[in-house]
Amino acid sequence: MVQNKKLNFIVIDDSKLDCFIAEKVINSTGKSAEVRSFVDARNALAHIASGATDDDRHTVVLVDIQMPVMNGFQFVEAFQKLSAEITSCYTIFVISSSINENDLKRVDNYSCVKQFLNKPLNSNILGTLLAQL
Amino acid sequence: MNTRNKIKVLYIDDEQNNLVGFKATFRFDYNIFIATDTAQAYAHLKSNPDISVILCDQRMPETTGARFFEEMRQQYPEPVRMLITGYSDIESVIDAVNNGHIYRYIKKPWTDADIRSAIEEGNKYYTTNSMLAARNKELQSAYDELGKFTYSVTHDLRGPLLSVIGAIDLAKTMEDLPEIKELLVMMDDAVKKLDEFIRNTHEYYNLKRGKLVPEDIDFNKIIADATAIFTISGRMDNTRFTSEVFQDEKFVSDEVSIKIILNNLFSNAFKFQKKNGADKFVDVKINVRDGKATIVVSDNGIGIHESHIGNIFTMFYRATSEEPGSGFGLYNVKDAIERLNGNINVQSALNEGTIFTIVIPGMKDGAK
Repeated sequence: MVQNKKLNFIVIDDSKLDCFIAEKVINSTGKSAEVRSFVDARNALAHIASGATDDDRHTVVLVDIQMPVMNGFQFVEAFQKLSAEITSCYTIFVISSSINENDLKRVDNYSCVKQFLNKPLNSNILGTLLAQL
Repeated sequence: MNTRNKIKVLYIDDEQNNLVGFKATFRFDYNIFIATDTAQAYAHLKSNPDISVILCDQRMPETTGARFFEEMRQQYPEPVRMLITGYSDIESVIDAVNNGHIYRYIKKPWTDADIRSAIEEGNKYYTTNSMLAARNKELQSAYDELGKFTYSVTHDLRGPLLSVIGAIDLAKTMEDLPEIKELLVMMDDAVKKLDEFIRNTHEYYNLKRGKLVPEDIDFNKIIADATAIFTISGRMDNTRFTSEVFQDEKFVSDEVSIKIILNNLFSNAFKFQKKNGADKFVDVKINVRDGKATIVVSDNGIGIHESHIGNIFTMFYRATSEEPGSGFGLYNVKDAIERLNGNINVQSALNEGTIFTIVIPGMKDGAK
């Protein structure tokens, strides 16, 4: 991927505050074209599945693990079932407050998940990660 | 002592005379079951799983006592097993003892005192073991719960904290005052959520570890207190709080549990209202009659989807991401109701509202 190309972002977290923080941190990296937040992972999935993108930018997804109704793992499993045409446009990071080892190990099982990040998100960490994309 | 509390003893012997004599001698002290073969013995065990002591003759035509014990303990490990035998069988007795098939042996011919002391000792051993097994089960379930608890606690306690840490970090770099204020409102919510979780945890332990304290319950007073609190918070989001209490008889119950039930149901009813609903209300009707309290809490809020109703009383289950919650409230409600031997019923329709109906029997009058 070209270094200075801008990215789209999707934040999925049932905490509105965490969505807000993520949006601000993402904006501060100067790499974002658009940031969308979802408090309900099902809506995020529907948005992704619809293929509704008005540009050909790559999208980075930050998804929380523990959420009601559809949790982060369920989201990732449903995401993997989407067509390669869609999934190839996304890079997924799991972001959580979890310090549970089973959760961490479980993240490794999903090939589409790029990396596990600890909360709280800050611009240094995110900046470094984005530079590697 | 009635038959129910007598020690249940099963005696197996192929000689009918021995059985009859045994039963005649001990039937006043123990609840005696007799069997001439192992099939009959199994039938007794099946219908009386609480038989605590089994005596069996070693020499029987179809099998030996030792072999029978070895086989039956697979299926019924709890009863204490004793072999009745003559000296000539000493080899097989030693084997049986060493292999753990029997607790002790009684030599033939036995005396009443031998049998009596064997049964008493055996029953003591049985009782201790059963108590230990029950304790172990309790411990295991407490341990399982603790594991589940710790997992959720790391999330529910750390989550809001990390949010606030992240927000503070962010605020340091922000210049725009309205934006900082917006952030403060959200930090406030996060801290309140944490506080709610801690209060719910406290309630949970009060319910689990606390003893029920029977006292006179005045529902009029409890509802008056709740009205004072919820009318104010309801006014902020245009939700009416209405109540109707009918109580003209004494009702004894545990006030802490009753309050936990009502407060959780009320705060849920207020929390899960439609954002822009018209004529929003939370209503409670309490009717005390014939020693039973019937409580109906209804609202015209967002309702609960059919697919979630079966799970709403599960610990840490949350049916919506619309409003913050700990997934603790209704679990505590159900726990409290069960402790009071009551029951709860929920009817709900999405976007129409929810009705919780609770029936609680009064406790025995231990109130001062």
